[in-house]
Amino acid sequence: MARRGIPEINAGSMADIAFLLLIFFLVTTTMDKDQAYVRSIPKKVEIKNPDPVDIENRNICLIKANALNQLMVRDEIMSNPDEISDRVIDFYTTNEKKNDAGNDFPMYSHITKKEIEAGLIAAEKDAEDTEKVPGVMPEIVDYKWNIVNEWQAKMDAIELYGKNSLPEIHGQAHVRIEIQKATEYKLFAKIQSEIEEAIFELRDGAAMDVFGESYGTITRRYGMDKSVEDKKKIDLLKILYPDRFIEVAPKR
Amino acid sequence: MSKFRKEEKKAAPGVNTSSLPDIVFMLLFFFMVATTSKESDPSVKVSQPEGVRTTDMTPYKQRSEIDFMYVGKPLNPARAAKYAEMGMEYLLFMDNVAQSTPDELYNVTAIRRWKLDKFDAKPERMSEPIESVITCIKADEGAPSGIIFDIRKELQEINALTVAYAVRDNGNI
Repeated sequence: MARRGIPEINAGSMADIAFLLLIFFLVTTTMDKDQAYVRSIPKKVEIKNPDPVDIENRNICLIKANALNQLMVRDEIMSNPDEISDRVIDFYTTNEKKNDAGNDFPMYSHITKKEIEAGLIAAEKDAEDTEKVPGVMPEIVDYKWNIVNEWQAKMDAIELYGKNSLPEIHGQAHVRIEIQKATEYKLFAKIQSEIEEAIFELRDGAAMDVFGESYGTITRRYGMDKSVEDKKKIDLLKILYPDRFIEVAPKR
Repeated sequence: MSKFRKEEKKAAPGVNTSSLPDIVFMLLFFFMVATTSKESDPSVKVSQPEGVRTTDMTPYKQRSEIDFMYVGKPLNPARAAKYAEMGMEYLLFMDNVAQSTPDELYNVTAIRRWKLDKFDAKPERMSEPIESVITCIKADEGAPSGIIFDIRKELQEINALTVAYAVRDNGNI
């Protein structure tokens, strides 16, 4: 008796099945990426500080926008929001090389390695002493150790920086965004964008100077392989040009 | 009797479709690789403003690591009219809220509950503290920024301290 060959499977409807799958994926997925500016919200404080710290006017880069979407940067009315980034760069760089008490920009301090070493030792001693005090609040101990960590970060930074002194902008210098409730989100996002652009440009310049590669390259590479060297590089750039933003909640 | 017979009418040969599945599968794989799943379809209309030097939220995803909220005008014209009458042109929409009570979707006071629910629902491997779980706000370019700060205030109350303002990157690098 002759053996019949195995009947072939009809693959004619394979395409239909594939099409179904394809259409399913087309419908349920999206190609657009999510791009955003990440900001942190300050922690809520229960106790009102009765005696808030005075901040010198020169240390504030105030960007204001009103309900009619008009802009003001450092008490100067601006019509073109694209210029905000230039103002922010000016704010950071004017006194960077040489302090000038006459102008209205934040001061820089040039801190040497010896000074950092001394600071680190003093901070460590202070933290250890505080820990020994009976009945001390753990928050205070944490706070002291944070100071030690900050000094340690500076130490790492100057070693990587490779120069005699580390320029450091005044600790209070910050960019402040004040808007009104009715300000369009478009303008608010534009302000954020301009600030981000300014910071990027500053860090990029420093990165090119010190490491010979762009800030974008370093951050992208760090995002991929999370290497320790890149982390240190980014930390140094963050100490040189800290991104301190304050977004003031609008009252009206 | 002619030597040449008239050619018999033959049907045109069918196109060989045996490689069609291969082509379609190739397309399928391309789309599977190049796209990501939508987190949700908001019921408000959002056209994002432009910006540069943004942080890419993509590396953070699986998108379920980030909680999205939307601020815009309702897509449903009847609902838009109803809320506009009450003086609320732009509304807040939070993803993955039960659809049974549509008005809950647009409620600012529901933010805390929404955020905490989402935080509890996250799988173990995303065990970041709530302070660093990103809440991404996608707002329409015409929305009043006051809403952003209302949201921030609510998030501050529950200690969810990382927020992101979504924009469309206009890509000049």
